[in-house]
Amino acid sequence: MIRPALLFLALSAPLAQAAGALPFDVGGPFRLTDQRGETRSEADPEGHAQLLFFGYANCRQICSAALPLMAEVVDELSAEGIAVTPVMITVDPARDTVDSIGAPLARIHPGFVGLTGSEAALQVAYDAFSVERAQIFDDPEYGPVFSHGSFIYLLDPDGAVLSLLPPVLAPEQAAEIVRSHLAPAG
Amino acid sequence: MRRTLTVLATLALATPLHAAEGERIRVTGELIDTWCYFSGVMGGTDAVVGTAHHTCALWCSAGGIPVGLRAEDGTVYMVLKIEGSAESAGGDTQLNLASHVIEADGIAYARDGLNYLVVEKVVTDQGITNENHLDYGNVPEFSVPEEAR
Repeated sequence: MIRPALLFLALSAPLAQAAGALPFDVGGPFRLTDQRGETRSEADPEGHAQLLFFGYANCRQICSAALPLMAEVVDELSAEGIAVTPVMITVDPARDTVDSIGAPLARIHPGFVGLTGSEAALQVAYDAFSVERAQIFDDPEYGPVFSHGSFIYLLDPDGAVLSLLPPVLAPEQAAEIVRSHLAPAG
Repeated sequence: MRRTLTVLATLALATPLHAAEGERIRVTGELIDTWCYFSGVMGGTDAVVGTAHHTCALWCSAGGIPVGLRAEDGTVYMVLKIEGSAESAGGDTQLNLASHVIEADGIAYARDGLNYLVVEKVVTDQGITNENHLDYGNVPEFSVPEEAR
């Protein structure tokens, strides 16, 4: 069961050099709305790399692991001068509206961007990332519980997918992977 | 959220894959709960597999934790898809196969020091073969409601 923990996946081989393009097809364009009511595409308007996860602000399952992990990676890299924007695309647009999506994400990290939109606009993003979502049951206390995508994607400033991160990684390991794709060579 | 180090687990890359492109492999192993396996929060790696951890594995998969395939040589593959289901966790296929030992035919990818697997076909399904609840009981005990124990 999901519990907060620091995870170390000790690799028996050193971290590989950042690879080229992903060998499988994932990612693509989308146009959604952030918590300020501004339209946002897959590109970061400030030219930062991005960590993208599909979840929902009230999620108490995988999001409670993935979103804090993203925040820790962002902070670790920020201290090194590597700017990364954490982004969550909702799978629960009925509850994650423009007015409501921002506050819970801000509690995890002030730089979090929450994206919502119409079912049609969101479906474009789900299709691009092969995200299947389903409402699996109703929690009497917290409302609908969804199954949804469970990997974190690393995007470049233009929105191209550079790699993916399992949410079971330790923050240090996840940061190392991101750094390997973003840090200047040399 | 602050996290507490509980264990140093090993993601064994016994047979590292270097190809940028996928490599077709056929591999036999158990579909595991990667969160509990690597975190150590619920016990050692021998305890968070098999029958002892089956109920918790269902909870974790349903909660979105991507499943992994622990091969007989110890290599763990993060599963991206199983037989046409785009989900890496929580789908009917993933839940039905939790803790099962399967022979998988698919495409393996190496990325950032991790192994990933797209299972194109479950060739054989041996079911849950590791009856380690005889040694460990139910791990963790609270994964089964008290009234059902």
